[in-house]
Amino acid sequence: MTDAIVIGSGPDELAAAHQLLRAGRSVIVVQEHAPQTHTDGWVPRAISMPGVVVEQLDPWLRAVLPGGGTLELWQDVRRSADAIRRLSPRDADKWPDFCDRMARLAALLEELYLAPPPSLVDLRFALKIRRLGRIGMEDLMRVLPMPVAELLDDCFESDALKGALGALAVRDLQQGPRSAGTAFRLLHFHVGNPPGVFRPPRSNYVQLARSGLDIREGCVRRINVRAGEATGVTLDSGELGARFVISGADPKRTLVDLVEPGWLDPDLARAVRHIRSRGVTAHLDLELERTPEWKTLTLAPSLDYVERAYDDAKYRRISAQPCIDAVADGARVHARVQYVPHGGQGEISAKPLERYMPAITRMTVRMAGGWPEGQPHHAELSLDQALWMRPLPELSDYRTPIKGLWLCGPAMHPGAGVAGASGYNCAKALLRDL
Amino acid sequence: MKAYDVIIVGGGHNGLACAAYLARAGRKVLVLERRERVGGAAWSEEVFPGFRFSVFSYVVSLLRPEIIRELELPRHGLQILPLESTVTPLANGDYLAQWSDHDQNRRELARHSPRDAEAYDEFGLLLHRMARAVKPLLSTAPPNPTSLDPRELFDLLRLGRYFRRLPEKDLNALWKLLTMSAADYLDEWFESEALKGTKSASGIIGTLLGPRSPGTAYVLLHHYMGELDGVFRAWGFAKGGNGSVSAAIAAAAQSHGADIRTQASVSKILVSGERAIGVVLDGGEELRAPIVVSGADPRRTFLGLVGEAHLPNDFVAAIQRYKFRGSSGKVNLALSELPRFTCMPEPGPHLRGAISISPSVDYLERAYDDAKYGEISRRPYMDIVIPSMLDPSMAPPGKHVMSIFVQYAPYHVNGGWSDAKREQFGDTVVNTLAEYAPNLKGAILHRQVITPADIERIVGLSEGNIFQGELTLQQMFFLRPAPAWSRYRTPIHGLYQCGSGTHPGGGVMGASGRNAAMAILGVRA
Repeated sequence: MTDAIVIGSGPDELAAAHQLLRAGRSVIVVQEHAPQTHTDGWVPRAISMPGVVVEQLDPWLRAVLPGGGTLELWQDVRRSADAIRRLSPRDADKWPDFCDRMARLAALLEELYLAPPPSLVDLRFALKIRRLGRIGMEDLMRVLPMPVAELLDDCFESDALKGALGALAVRDLQQGPRSAGTAFRLLHFHVGNPPGVFRPPRSNYVQLARSGLDIREGCVRRINVRAGEATGVTLDSGELGARFVISGADPKRTLVDLVEPGWLDPDLARAVRHIRSRGVTAHLDLELERTPEWKTLTLAPSLDYVERAYDDAKYRRISAQPCIDAVADGARVHARVQYVPHGGQGEISAKPLERYMPAITRMTVRMAGGWPEGQPHHAELSLDQALWMRPLPELSDYRTPIKGLWLCGPAMHPGAGVAGASGYNCAKALLRDL
Repeated sequence: MKAYDVIIVGGGHNGLACAAYLARAGRKVLVLERRERVGGAAWSEEVFPGFRFSVFSYVVSLLRPEIIRELELPRHGLQILPLESTVTPLANGDYLAQWSDHDQNRRELARHSPRDAEAYDEFGLLLHRMARAVKPLLSTAPPNPTSLDPRELFDLLRLGRYFRRLPEKDLNALWKLLTMSAADYLDEWFESEALKGTKSASGIIGTLLGPRSPGTAYVLLHHYMGELDGVFRAWGFAKGGNGSVSAAIAAAAQSHGADIRTQASVSKILVSGERAIGVVLDGGEELRAPIVVSGADPRRTFLGLVGEAHLPNDFVAAIQRYKFRGSSGKVNLALSELPRFTCMPEPGPHLRGAISISPSVDYLERAYDDAKYGEISRRPYMDIVIPSMLDPSMAPPGKHVMSIFVQYAPYHVNGGWSDAKREQFGDTVVNTLAEYAPNLKGAILHRQVITPADIERIVGLSEGNIFQGELTLQQMFFLRPAPAWSRYRTPIHGLYQCGSGTHPGGGVMGASGRNAAMAILGVRA
């Protein structure tokens, strides 16, 4: 019998599989969807493998200015400052300090991301926090619960700069930049990036990590449980037995849908159903007549613009004026359109982009992955669902009440944006248990 | 001239409470109040002949019971009349009532949703437990978790021990309350829109956040804190208006020997070599004392009275970015007859409680949407009480006073506040309320409209924020008003703060004043 079955073939699941393999365990990976072409997010050194290439666009942001022209932010902090200077000399002067400050704060989070989430009552955690230094820690505690709009308004005056950064902070979240706790997300997606870069990078980790693993295609119908213990999975094609099952699927799907009802305590089942996982992003795959002049283009000209886009989503409407973030690969463009709430009324279109690129020859719309409401992070990444609360305090240590059933994936600490980390942490915890 | 140990700038309820505790401990205390009467925002006045109003703050909700006891406030004239119900009129002519009688309340909730009636008790128990857990924090000077000061370390350990004794489940529930939005939190419990709307309204008061913004769930707790020591003492009106609270505290302070000087506006806090040595009044008169305590908000205290030149740069920066953003106003009406609400046309017990215009979370959120872009809410949230129903001395016989707390009226309104804008605001409020109580317009004898700009001008609260600064997570506990300066001390030796701009913040709680006095006396509360 195999030691472990891993459900899913995303970066977290593959990272978990590799950890187990490295410890001499046998692993079968069940791949439910077509493999991803690239991995979003920083790849921590402990997880990375030879050949992994982390790519960041340069400029990493090209924001459309309402009056015409664009604002480019580069990997080079000084070069970005020069670009900002055209809009506001004051902001340009502040940019390097802002980048330093954010990098310092993100470094504090980074410490927490490659280990299981700390517990609120853990004295070691308290001591660790204190060791991080007074000024940094005070700043971190002040910044985390802030609205990103407030953080940006405190630092900058340029609408274009604030709008673009604000939109990055609320990416894939049913909140606007004026909602409290969104500054945390700007930092979260900054972790692992060089100072001054706030867009998660891309890597080829998933393709590389597939090598050496026993990957089988199939769709999981059920996680088999006998006497409170996971014994394997039932696929379309039949049963697979194993001592452990590691699920990278959404915790709601894993625990409410795949496990036969009755194994879960009703209070926990209720809490699992309450994990917030509203999807807000539509993805457009566009084919253009020819290659556009840009590699990336962002339409989020001010914080108010982003906030108004969110206002529509609050009342279950698709944003009339959405935020769009497009990345071009030759004449093919991938555009993220936010906000498109699950089941929202209205029309999704690429219209706002049309002025800035050659004619569209083909367009396909798909909603972000994620079950059941299209939230790619499975559990919205907000302060009340982060760290030891992710996705629920009862599940935050990657264990479930069902013996042998473990969780990894974007819903688990540290969450999306850190490739493989939850799988790595999960496998480590599992191996320690043996 | 009499020599004083302590000069207190500002005779609001916190300044007075601080004075009373210091005087009780034998210190010679002088309170300086700019206006002709003490009370700050806890102030009652006969605005129109025969009609008395609690002009600004209008209910006694969170006044610390230990202050009532220790200062013997009832002996000094404080009498609290219970406020027992909340009725939320709905657009369809129905209503949702919350009564203090448990069975009646349950029947009423069940009428809207049997599921909510089931969940309500469990919800109440959880929040009650949470409120109990948080309560000791209210009377503590919050220690900075990164501090190396042995006294703070001691407090930190004490607090750590306290929290470690709480079940982890409760701690996590508390964390959820701190970080979630009121709307999301209530969605986990209830389905009735009116119930969720009314409950979430308590989360937005005094902030420029909507019920869907994280950080608003925490204030749900405040309601349950008020109930901790029994409904009768905690939620109600002060007889004679909220000014009676200040008057009782002032009387207590004076009985212990504190001096109170009104019409004494402080223009400057004197600093010599990083030490406060006294104050200068508007007329140029200098008063000296080794300890100066400011009850004014942090911006007025440090950027106004002390001056940036005497303060470290990072502290000045922290005070400059401290957010006020007043978002609420008040409309006080003198009425010739009681309002007849469409949902409950006859006079009845509902008029003795609060009436809340908060039919749904979306209603509140839309009110916030307007404010967020600098407009007065077209259909605002309102919390209405009719004090003359409980205390007939507030109005001439047969007539009534109505107090309407309104949100949102942003301080930074587009075009700025003007007389025309104020009237427009008053009209919006009256028109909205008249939709629920059609006889209202005809019953209005007088109308007083108070905008955040008026609150700033009259009471001196920066940007008209009723809590001396928003009660958001990044401005709470050891971050209020600035990191490392949350324990009532300031970078200036001998200068202390005692206003709501310090932990635990606003509401007529008195805790800041008491805690500050304890810090000055070197007593652990």
